[in-house]
Amino acid sequence: MDKGLIQQKLDNTFLRRALKNFAAAYPVARAKAFEGMDFEELRGRIANFKGAGLEQLPALVERFTASAEKAGAQVHLCTTPEVANRTILEIIRSKNADFLVKSKAMTSEEIELNHYLEKNGVSCLETDLGEWIIQLAGERPSHMVMPAIHKNKEEVAELFSRETGRECPPDIPSLVQTAREALRSGFLAGQVGMSGANVAMADSGTLGIITNEGNGRLVTTLPRTHIALVGVEKIVPSLSDALDIIEILPKNATGQKITSYVSFIKGPTGGDGRELHIVLLDNGRLQLAADPAFREALKCVKCGACANVCPIYELVGGHVFGHIYVGGIGLVLTPFFHGFDKAEEILKLCIGCRKCNEVCAARIDIEGLIVDLRDKIRKPFGQKFLFGTLMKNRKLFHAALRTAYLAQKPFQGAGGRIRHLPLVLNRETANRSLPPIAEKPFRDLVETGTGKGTGTGEKVLFYSGCLADFVYPEMCQDTVTSLEKLGYTVTFPQEQTCCGIPARYSGEMEVARDMARINTDVLLEEDADYVVTICPTCTMSLKHDFGKLLADEPVYVEKARRLAAKTFNFSELAARKAGAGSLGPETRGRSKTQDAARSTVTYHDACHLKRGCGVHEEPRKVLRELAGVEIAEMEECDKCCGFGGSYSIKYPEISQEVLKNKLENIEATGAHMVAVDCPGCKLQIEGGLEAAGSAVTVEHSATLVARRIAEVKVELET
Amino acid sequence: MVEQFQIAAEAVGAIVKRFTTLTDAAGYVTSAVGVTTVAAPNLPPAVRRVLPNLTLAAPADFAAADAGISVARAGIAATGSLLLELSDPTDRSATALPPVHLVFLDATTIVPTLANLAGLLEENLYRPSPVYLSLTTGPSRTADIERVLTIGVHGPKELHILMMEGDASWTRD
Ligand code: SF4
Ligand code: SF4
Repeated sequence: MDKGLIQQKLDNTFLRRALKNFAAAYPVARAKAFEGMDFEELRGRIANFKGAGLEQLPALVERFTASAEKAGAQVHLCTTPEVANRTILEIIRSKNADFLVKSKAMTSEEIELNHYLEKNGVSCLETDLGEWIIQLAGERPSHMVMPAIHKNKEEVAELFSRETGRECPPDIPSLVQTAREALRSGFLAGQVGMSGANVAMADSGTLGIITNEGNGRLVTTLPRTHIALVGVEKIVPSLSDALDIIEILPKNATGQKITSYVSFIKGPTGGDGRELHIVLLDNGRLQLAADPAFREALKCVKCGACANVCPIYELVGGHVFGHIYVGGIGLVLTPFFHGFDKAEEILKLCIGCRKCNEVCAARIDIEGLIVDLRDKIRKPFGQKFLFGTLMKNRKLFHAALRTAYLAQKPFQGAGGRIRHLPLVLNRETANRSLPPIAEKPFRDLVETGTGKGTGTGEKVLFYSGCLADFVYPEMCQDTVTSLEKLGYTVTFPQEQTCCGIPARYSGEMEVARDMARINTDVLLEEDADYVVTICPTCTMSLKHDFGKLLADEPVYVEKARRLAAKTFNFSELAARKAGAGSLGPETRGRSKTQDAARSTVTYHDACHLKRGCGVHEEPRKVLRELAGVEIAEMEECDKCCGFGGSYSIKYPEISQEVLKNKLENIEATGAHMVAVDCPGCKLQIEGGLEAAGSAVTVEHSATLVARRIAEVKVELET
Repeated sequence: MVEQFQIAAEAVGAIVKRFTTLTDAAGYVTSAVGVTTVAAPNLPPAVRRVLPNLTLAAPADFAAADAGISVARAGIAATGSLLLELSDPTDRSATALPPVHLVFLDATTIVPTLANLAGLLEENLYRPSPVYLSLTTGPSRTADIERVLTIGVHGPKELHILMMEGDASWTRD
């Protein structure tokens, strides 16, 4: 990705403010719009009928075509953008027209219709206010629902002044009035009108169009010929399915319960030689629908919610985060609609926080598709040596990490933190101090005493993950101490290795598969009750990715399933023991060593814990009942900290901006400590706080529980 | 449900007036539109009778009319929406072009949610002939400039809902 463009967007204060305000206002409006409704049930239904429809999309296209034709519409199925453009031009020419008046259609952006028509002597007028603004500016939409969100009123006033030839003040109501007046004549003069459609119903051949401004009704009424350009994936079996989409779309898009206008158009109404042409656009959709690995992407109803909640979109906007289609789904659709060459760079921009998955109207695993697409591109962008040679050999990999301890020495600043890394990392990680690789990783400490699995409690295998193992060995130690104190018998299998996520996120699937096999074997070798992790990214890998990665190997499918069933995060296992034993709530507040302020922490939900594992109550229970602390919740506690593994090295400028937002929310709580359940979040947040000179510290829940154990012990003894 | 409809419709900027007789409603129409020309191509005879002095615009002049008048087929309480059957393009122009839109609504046709409208929609959409239905909720709006909500872009700037709580069988004539 063009670093200059990213920086330019990050430096654009209007864009930043606009997107930030929207990101803050959107969840509130959205929650209000869905009040009293079961979002999960609604989107579950949508995911189901869309999924079923896509499996037999060609048949659905046929059914829709038959119904629409019966109602008098003319249906044109177009395979490529070229064919669609030509078909539309021919319809316009057949009416002896040279002017097309349009309401909003993302599909028209997709095939670059305006450009084609203008080249062929047909002028186009966009009448959706946002689309008109960007048409005048000669740009492309930066959001699917709010195309001109990146333009401020001064810029709009300038564009309108130039267009109308008179001075337009930068006053929003008067600008809107100017648009009303200027575009009216366009509607009245239009010989041919064009719209998109939000949904098409196979049972009756009806198109559903959802708009706010009222231009949709005008372009489908005043011109005697109406062309609707519709992606084939918009076809749903029946009216009741369409109603679900109409129900969810405005709420998810802008937090409106419903838009001002929803039109149901079946056939050309009004007689008198009026025509309705439905141009069904394929452009790779039928092929995609036949691909079980990626067809899910076509469930998208284009609500734009995945962009609305995306922390990276919030920083850089749609001109960076997407191509024609923007936001998380834009990253996914671009390779299929516009080619893999266009998608390669933008696919790397996702930090993997899964916010989009949480709100998607069609329950698409957007983040999962993004990761899978990186694999499909098969142009690994990680370090060839690191993934190709080093990681495949556990001993070599771990030896290299040990050597790194020595190599980093000259770069360590006061307190042992690395302030200056060699080579490229230097400039870009300037705002963040990195913790050093520990002198002795946890795996070496195990030999000298802990985690040897003596005891009679339920048997737990501890899977630490590389970061905790090599950077935070004391965090691992704390995990073992707390779990043992809570009654578990803990063992650390030495043969465990990297979970494979860094390889997978870098598109190195073969390496990831190797890791999956090794770890599955190691963790099933002993017949333990549980496998516990302290890094939710590892948990996701063990629980979800291994099965997917090894789906073609029946023996491993079964093994991965068994492993998934017994893998848990630390907080999940710990929470089960809350209320029992000497760490129960009755010991709360008894500590003489803690003052009230010190025992208040704020909690940061790791993306992969909250949305990857669906765990967010257990950590709070553990903190309150086992670590004996109060929680002062921060704003947006589940918003990404900006770490994203290697993301923070690939896109440090973006990562740092995401982090900044997190740090502000932390400081606002007044808490002296941030509790986390992920070593990556600790690394990122701790580094940011330290670089900012803050005294706030960051600890893993396991450490807080271990500390509490030590305190209670002291108290009991004195 | 009438209350819920009113709250929802007013929340999105519609004006809701409740009447028990058509004569009262006619009085409101007269005061709202004054002496201006009105786009009202397919008014039920009962409305014509109580509003004999309306100056009706010809369809070609709808763009210059000051108000449009129509009759809703149903309402949705959850969202304050109106279902309009607009298969005749002149009806569409009448409800889309003028800056003010007045709609009669029979209170007994209000249903709780969009899903409850499925039956009526199916009845219309499953007919063999072409159909154009519109759900209208509040006045025309945009938030395309700096996300500031602004009323009245291309459609009506005012939506007046005349809620008929007495006998309103005439709305179906
Ligand atoms: S996973 Fe996060 S960063 Fe990636 S597209 Fe979704 S919201 Fe954006
Ligand atoms: S992917 Fe989901 S959230 Fe994103 S636009 Fe499509 S339906 Fe909406």
